[in-house]
Amino acid sequence: MTAIKWNDQQPIFRQLKEKVVELIIDKEVSEGEAVPSVRQVAADYQINPLTVSKAYQELVDESILEKRRGLGMFVTESAREKLLESEKSHFLDIEWPKILQRIERLGLSIQSLVNDKQTQVEEK
Amino acid sequence: MTSLIQANGLSKSYGSHQALKSVDFSVKRGRIVGLVGPNGAGKTTILKAILGLTSYDGELKVLGLDPARQRHQIMQKVSFIADVAVLPRWLKVSDAIEFVANVHSNFREDRARHFLSKTNIPMKAKVKELSKGMVAQLHLALVMSIEAELLVLDEPTLGLDILFRKEFYNQLLAEFFDEGRSILVTTHQIEEIENLLTDLIFIRDGKIVLDATMEDVAEKYIEVMVSKDDAEKAEALDPVMHRDVFGRRVYLFEGVSREQLEPLGELHSPSVADLFVAKMKEGK
Repeated sequence: MTAIKWNDQQPIFRQLKEKVVELIIDKEVSEGEAVPSVRQVAADYQINPLTVSKAYQELVDESILEKRRGLGMFVTESAREKLLESEKSHFLDIEWPKILQRIERLGLSIQSLVNDKQTQVEEK
Repeated sequence: MTSLIQANGLSKSYGSHQALKSVDFSVKRGRIVGLVGPNGAGKTTILKAILGLTSYDGELKVLGLDPARQRHQIMQKVSFIADVAVLPRWLKVSDAIEFVANVHSNFREDRARHFLSKTNIPMKAKVKELSKGMVAQLHLALVMSIEAELLVLDEPTLGLDILFRKEFYNQLLAEFFDEGRSILVTTHQIEEIENLLTDLIFIRDGKIVLDATMEDVAEKYIEVMVSKDDAEKAEALDPVMHRDVFGRRVYLFEGVSREQLEPLGELHSPSVADLFVAKMKEGK
């Protein structure tokens, strides 16, 4: 994992959790693969082990990670599918309406943006 | 026993000067506690009392024992790095390991050798030939090899460069700390370890002015940057402090709910350093 610049608007455990989610969605960590131990992550980022445990525990509760006794923490087989599903609905329910609002406020039209994008793709 | 340290009405006077004015606090197992205060606030006096190095009034239990009278037993399970990390200059690294192995029953020599093998410190070198950072590494290797339940660190990284400082805490987390042990640390470089801490204690003029878990701190203290138009509304909520940034005002609130503050602007958690400044100025 690369360095993370923490922001002060969200608890670190939540930012760490989002980082792990990102890694899984981007296939940096595959399903069935182990994630670094709590101790390792704590030492690498100089954060408290409890913070790391808390992030991992929430991901376990959401069936994104699973504990294997004596072996550590692993990405579940259906993790990526689940995450994509929830990220998509988060985008559609929360992010997209905001983007839409901004497009309208700037006097742009969705249609022309889509057309521009298509021409760009075709030109490549 | 969940509390490794329990202090009730701990007091200490040097002549007419009261260095500690009846402080109460506890350190539970599996915690990393930051003890923060300006010079002369009483930090070192607290540490000395815990380590049985000074007399005191009031009640103090370390691992359930009395540091003034049971120091020998306590030191089997407590280790310590002082701000003046002194090791005899003529001592060889290998002799240092041998010495601690002979005097300390809970010292694991193989661990110390393992830690040192990962550094550039030669076994045959004398302490006087090592850099300041290396001496700190050697000290840490010795201390981490003691099967201690409580580790007391008094400005452990003073005078070290940033690489050594990071390495120091990295080692502590990777090789020493676990839920069975606790670390009590004082440092002026608080911003470097604030994410490491589970608990925070501020001390000022011999009194504890803040004692909370980091979770509680995050919940209780909120910073909001407020535009001029909303300044009056912010003032009405009785902020503990404010500072001006780019013509806007950043207010620090204590115990005001997020719901009440959200309309005023974006909410942030104050850094421990900012919180410290606020707490030290409070009422002055």
